[in-house]
Amino acid sequence: MQPIVRITTLATLVFGLGAHAWADDHAGAVMALTAAKVLTCQVDTAGAPTANAVVNNGIVIVRDGLIESVLPKGSALPDGAVLVDYGDAWITPGMIDLHTHVAGVGINDSVFQSNSGLRVNGTIEPGRTELMRAVAAGVTTHLYIPGSGTNIGGAGMLIKTSPQTYEAMVVREAGSLKVAQADNPKRWAYGMNRIMLNWTIREVFERGVAYAKAWQAFEAGAGSEPERNIQFDIFRELVAGRTQISAHTQVHQVVLASIKIMADEFGLDLFIDHGTFDGYLATDEALKHNVAGIIGPRAVNNQNKGRGIDTDGQIVGVAGEYQKRGMVKVGFNTDAPVVPAEELPLQAAMGVRYGFDDSAMQALLGLTIVPAQVAGIADRVGSLEPGKDADLVVIAGHPADPRSMVECVYVQGELVYNAEEGQIF
Amino acid sequence: MFTSLLLLALASGGAGLTPSAPAPLDVYQGVRPLTFGKPSIEHPPIAVRCARVLTMGAGDVIHSPGMLLIAGGKLEYVGKVIDVPAGYTVLEQPDAWVVPGFIDLHSHIQTGGWGDINDMVMPTNAEYSTRSTIVPDNPGIRRALAAGVTTLFGIPGSGTSISGFGVLYKTKTRKSYEDVLLADPGGMKVAQTHNPERSQGDLGQTRAGLSWLLEELNDRAVVARDNGTFDPALSNLVRIQARELHALIHCAGNDGVASTVRMWKGRYDTKCVVSHGSFDGWYVADYVAEMGVPVNHGPRTFNLSYGMREGRIVGTSKAYIDAGVPNFSLNTDAPVVPAEELFLQGTVSAHLGAEPYDMLRALTIGPARSFGIDHQVGSIEVGKDADVVLWSGDPLDPRSSVYAVLIDGEVQYQQSHDGQWF
Repeated sequence: MQPIVRITTLATLVFGLGAHAWADDHAGAVMALTAAKVLTCQVDTAGAPTANAVVNNGIVIVRDGLIESVLPKGSALPDGAVLVDYGDAWITPGMIDLHTHVAGVGINDSVFQSNSGLRVNGTIEPGRTELMRAVAAGVTTHLYIPGSGTNIGGAGMLIKTSPQTYEAMVVREAGSLKVAQADNPKRWAYGMNRIMLNWTIREVFERGVAYAKAWQAFEAGAGSEPERNIQFDIFRELVAGRTQISAHTQVHQVVLASIKIMADEFGLDLFIDHGTFDGYLATDEALKHNVAGIIGPRAVNNQNKGRGIDTDGQIVGVAGEYQKRGMVKVGFNTDAPVVPAEELPLQAAMGVRYGFDDSAMQALLGLTIVPAQVAGIADRVGSLEPGKDADLVVIAGHPADPRSMVECVYVQGELVYNAEEGQIF
Repeated sequence: MFTSLLLLALASGGAGLTPSAPAPLDVYQGVRPLTFGKPSIEHPPIAVRCARVLTMGAGDVIHSPGMLLIAGGKLEYVGKVIDVPAGYTVLEQPDAWVVPGFIDLHSHIQTGGWGDINDMVMPTNAEYSTRSTIVPDNPGIRRALAAGVTTLFGIPGSGTSISGFGVLYKTKTRKSYEDVLLADPGGMKVAQTHNPERSQGDLGQTRAGLSWLLEELNDRAVVARDNGTFDPALSNLVRIQARELHALIHCAGNDGVASTVRMWKGRYDTKCVVSHGSFDGWYVADYVAEMGVPVNHGPRTFNLSYGMREGRIVGTSKAYIDAGVPNFSLNTDAPVVPAEELFLQGTVSAHLGAEPYDMLRALTIGPARSFGIDHQVGSIEVGKDADVVLWSGDPLDPRSSVYAVLIDGEVQYQQSHDGQWF
């Protein structure tokens, strides 16, 4: 018989700011978490949920902060496993938000028009209230990026939201290059318009990509060592495929310009960030260049009959429109604090309200494995599969139903939030 | 044409929901009320067939599948599926949940924006009315309609201690004031604390001064009531003191809530309803319950100051319900929170621990009872106004949307015809 540990007693041991890592305190220990439903969010190469995507009456085995396996009820447990029974609750992967600004302040340096050398990592404040509320909503990974005050804002960073030290938060320091294709950066100077923004992006990318290729050549044994230029180091990551461009882009022709310039001309890995208004009209072009859409926080478009606000009151859902045009990799973002980070699941719920098909759990996939794949971190997070981080959300019901309360959150096997200690969100 | 075809099919095939029912009929065909000011009762009778009817009335009966017959703007049958009488247009939505139209007792969108709700020259304005400021069918009202809200109490703001009387009206489209009216005056708006303290509108901007203003005026109204004297400045307030009308009292914090209940229930025994009751107002929930005063809660349904250091959050709808306050209801204070997000007040409350069904009551029968309009609205029962909403699922789940809204038996919004408005 395995001992049944009530989570309250566990919580008193491990909960709190600066909590000890459960895994540290129990080195080599194994946990078996049982729930009525385990939504592993495992998908096939086409992005469709596999037969293992939902395990009813499942058991998640966690060892050393990683997922060892997801088993059906009644399976033999590993020796020494501590059983934690979550009864009727569901377990899902920790959710991922690829557009947030709440891990620190001061992320919009607007002295220069393009700032590919800037990085947000100097602004990170572990344990910020906004991050803790995100944790309490089951959002365990953020892409924390610069603002859209300038054309190229700089490098974002992929972080875990719960850890209390910088080192423990890092998922990938070169999280993305934030490009703002239109609208907001126009405020940078009087008279600036989309043509100049596009020209600047091309100009900086020409130099950045040339710099990255010179380094690639040198590392392959050709040519002399290029002079270091910290403005362009992020391009070495981009050209090597180790990071992506998160493109603040919206409206049909702006999304087209983003895809044309950065994905088509420069061949870099790009995803649509926001993609709102009638940006979905560019879906065909996005699919040609394998560009995904991380949609939000404006869930609806009311300009269905051309430009200007329609007066008939009709609205359509943006995420649903991308999906109807064939985009499989559709995820959601909050742009927190524009929308609070803890309301990420509500973005998916609104997507469904406005026509996003959720019949094959697309809403939850858009909060988990889709953003993980889009950000190139699906080897660590986004689904409950052997070898991945044990980032788990124990929730009362469907995660895209805002009535469901998050009961517990684990990050890398550590219990980082327990609503029995008091509900944060 | 469509209608008669379906009736023929029903006549030959019998009634009953079929699993693969056809797409919903467009009941606008030939019957869309386009005539300005046309009385509701001329609308042809309608039969609604759906997956379930949540009556929210006595016994909390749920019919699944269910059916309604509507004629003359009223509900004439509620129950299991029966044969459709001749002459009825059938509104068939096999997967729909049919729920009473929601009621928001704290709303300012009658004017179509933020303006026209706060006259702040004098500190008390008991004779003012929102009557002349109502713009029926404005975009805010349309969105409320498309989110299943059918009755609003359109009230003045909280800039002064008494800002006047509000009108209870319905969210019908393309209608005049006379068509949307439910009750005028619908009740009085009082702002006890947390707003009238600001600059103009009171004596010294302290709660002592505000309380004195309210008591002085009420004492005069009591005298007028007892002596039968007529004072144009007090005539409506006299009706409050005579318990003919309800008072909705904006207050917050445990001091504000307690002083509201002490004054309006304890001292004057009026038909008063606590509105907002936010922040730590829930600390005195037991006192409010003991005094039997209904609470109209929102749009802030949680309290953060409790244990603020750890960022803990307390669901205050649950706190009031647990204390046993009668006829609990929810509000948006629109446009503070958009009128169309009334259901979301229930969703958030459920997220923070309240029972979802209790929150559905708080959007329907709760507000109707607390304002004495439950003989007409707030539940789906025979004889009541046919204000019903067809939802694609549970109304508290934001993934659900509204298929159609009927008010006084008329289809006012239908997603398949109008497109999605919210």
